[in-house]
Amino acid sequence: MKPRDRVLMALNHEVPDRCPMQVSFTPEFAARLEKDMNLGGEDKIHNPHGGGNTYELERSLGQDLLLTSVGWANSYYQEAKEYVDEWGIGWRSAEYETPFGVGRYTEMNIHPLAEDNAIEHYQAPDPNRPELYREAEWMLKTFKDEYWIVGVTVTTMFETAWALRGYERMLIDFALKPDLAERLLEIPYQYHLTAAKKLTQMGVDMIWIGDDIGAQHAMIISPKMWRKFFKPRMANFISELKSINPQVKVAYHSDGVVNPIIPDLIEIGLDVLNPIQPASMDPAKLKQEFGDKLCFWGSIDEQHTLPFGSADDVKTEVQTRLNTLGKKGGLIIGPTHHVQLDTPMENFWAMVNTIQQTPYSTL
Amino acid sequence: MEPIIKEIHTNVMEGNVTSVKANVQAAIDAGIPVSDILNDGMIAAMAEVGHLFEEGECFVPEMLIAARAMQTGLALLKPHLKNAEVVSAGKVVVGTVKGDLHDIGKNLVAMMLEGAGFEIIDLGTDVPAEKFVEAVRNQGAQIVAMSALLTTTMPSIKNTIDALNAAGLRGQVKVMIGGAPVTQNYANQVGADGFAPDASRAVATAKELMAT
Ligand code: B1M
Repeated sequence: MKPRDRVLMALNHEVPDRCPMQVSFTPEFAARLEKDMNLGGEDKIHNPHGGGNTYELERSLGQDLLLTSVGWANSYYQEAKEYVDEWGIGWRSAEYETPFGVGRYTEMNIHPLAEDNAIEHYQAPDPNRPELYREAEWMLKTFKDEYWIVGVTVTTMFETAWALRGYERMLIDFALKPDLAERLLEIPYQYHLTAAKKLTQMGVDMIWIGDDIGAQHAMIISPKMWRKFFKPRMANFISELKSINPQVKVAYHSDGVVNPIIPDLIEIGLDVLNPIQPASMDPAKLKQEFGDKLCFWGSIDEQHTLPFGSADDVKTEVQTRLNTLGKKGGLIIGPTHHVQLDTPMENFWAMVNTIQQTPYSTL
Repeated sequence: MEPIIKEIHTNVMEGNVTSVKANVQAAIDAGIPVSDILNDGMIAAMAEVGHLFEEGECFVPEMLIAARAMQTGLALLKPHLKNAEVVSAGKVVVGTVKGDLHDIGKNLVAMMLEGAGFEIIDLGTDVPAEKFVEAVRNQGAQIVAMSALLTTTMPSIKNTIDALNAAGLRGQVKVMIGGAPVTQNYANQVGADGFAPDASRAVATAKELMAT
């Protein structure tokens, strides 16, 4: 079965030959994997939210979705140790050490809209530059026959807005300066909406939007606050895309706990929810409650099972997920974030092999 | 309870900085004991906010603005605290461990501890083991409070405990830890003295550690 048909069936709540798979990595894990797979590593890295995926790696692994990203998230993991991106946001690097080597994360440390009045003169980058869409154009031409193509515009509103403003400052704005908060959200919202519409017009199969509003055990902001600041914008975002192409699917990423707003997400037309952190939300329960109206993407735990579990634990978790969250389709399976450098290779392969060697017919 | 203390309590909970400032100044001017303003006004309000957070009735923005209001009041009270013989609940050095840049959880823990009468030395994020060791050696911290949000940076907790041991300081400090992937089990495994799942319960843990 072609990867794109596999995904389409799953997202139509039908049962394909096996569950479709999508996996991303940090650059350091990608380098380890390339070595393990004897790949040339010459392919250009694409960069949805700073991952280390290359198309060569994704295709060699037998992934079913290919991603192309336009937007602020591409500012993650630039080569220099310190840099300022085209939004005026400053970045630094922090090193960490795992049993499998040393890695580096890049993070924002300069927020150009930290001062309240800086927004008056702020000029966001132009989302209409043709060069932003060259990769998508090439991808669609080269791979759309075979793969499910995803246009990535994550960090859609909240994450870019808080990178411009500062995380804590932005959270306080929601409570104390709601008008300013609205104006801050509007900047990345307009940028990413323009990009997502363009990608939809170009023919991607799915748009992936995202903003982390969940922490490990609760939402970061209240459902009420989410409904005030985010729901109307997300509703419009989704409906604009569907009016360009009614067949286009929309996926949304938020880490952590988001159960309280899932009915709202369904109401505004969301198709797929990512990444379903199992330590935060019970996947089986989600399937029971929402499985007929919503599809899921992710769900393999990387806070315990992938880094610290055994290969058998990983295998069991994949099988459990296929039997619950993935029952009768409706799931794209994969880890809940980029696979991190602390993951043993045997655990990684236990995940990939179990997914690929478990046909739906045997479940 | 004096009506003005009640007002301080309400305004801290609602994050109303300007009112807290005015209320605290008025209370000081009226000669109300500083320890009452602190304990019944501000500390009690932060404890209640923490409890609501624990119960899922209040979220990060509401907690941040309450903490800011509390800090404004505390700044006004500080010059009076020594004379009033209000004793600090303990000195805590807090930080997010090396390699890790997640800071909101750590900040909330620091704010709640401050709001419960602890003295805080906040080392920020990406804090190497030596910095924690220095704070214990040179500033007399009694608790080392480490936050880690990533499985890849959890080993930095263990490295810091090892460094405290190597410096011969482990016996004189308590170590408490927390953050999304961190569990009581992990705390036992690396030899930390305490763990808390959220900022409100971090206060209870710190108090227990000071009492032992
Ligand atoms: C001392 O005693 C104590 C006691 C209690 C303590 C304590 C200490 N410390 C905390 N607590 C406790 O009290 C607090 C209040 O009640 C609580 O603190 P929390 O911090 O848990 O809660 C806060 C109030 C709100 N929570 C948060 O703000 C964290 C939320 C999530 C969504 C999150 C965010 C926001 C971010 N992130 Co990050 N991020 C995720 C998080 C998802 C999740 N499930 O937690 C997580 C933690 N991130 C993850 C990842 C992978 C990453 N992140 C990264 C970056 C970021 C942002 C910069 C975008 C941002 C942080 C901004 C900032 N300034 O803090 C990267 C690393 C950067 C770095 N070096 O640190 C990067 C590595 C991504 C990458 N590049 O690959 C995942 C970790 C997975 C793993 N294997 O461990 C993750 C679980 C998401 C996921 N889908 O899996 C309790 O834990």
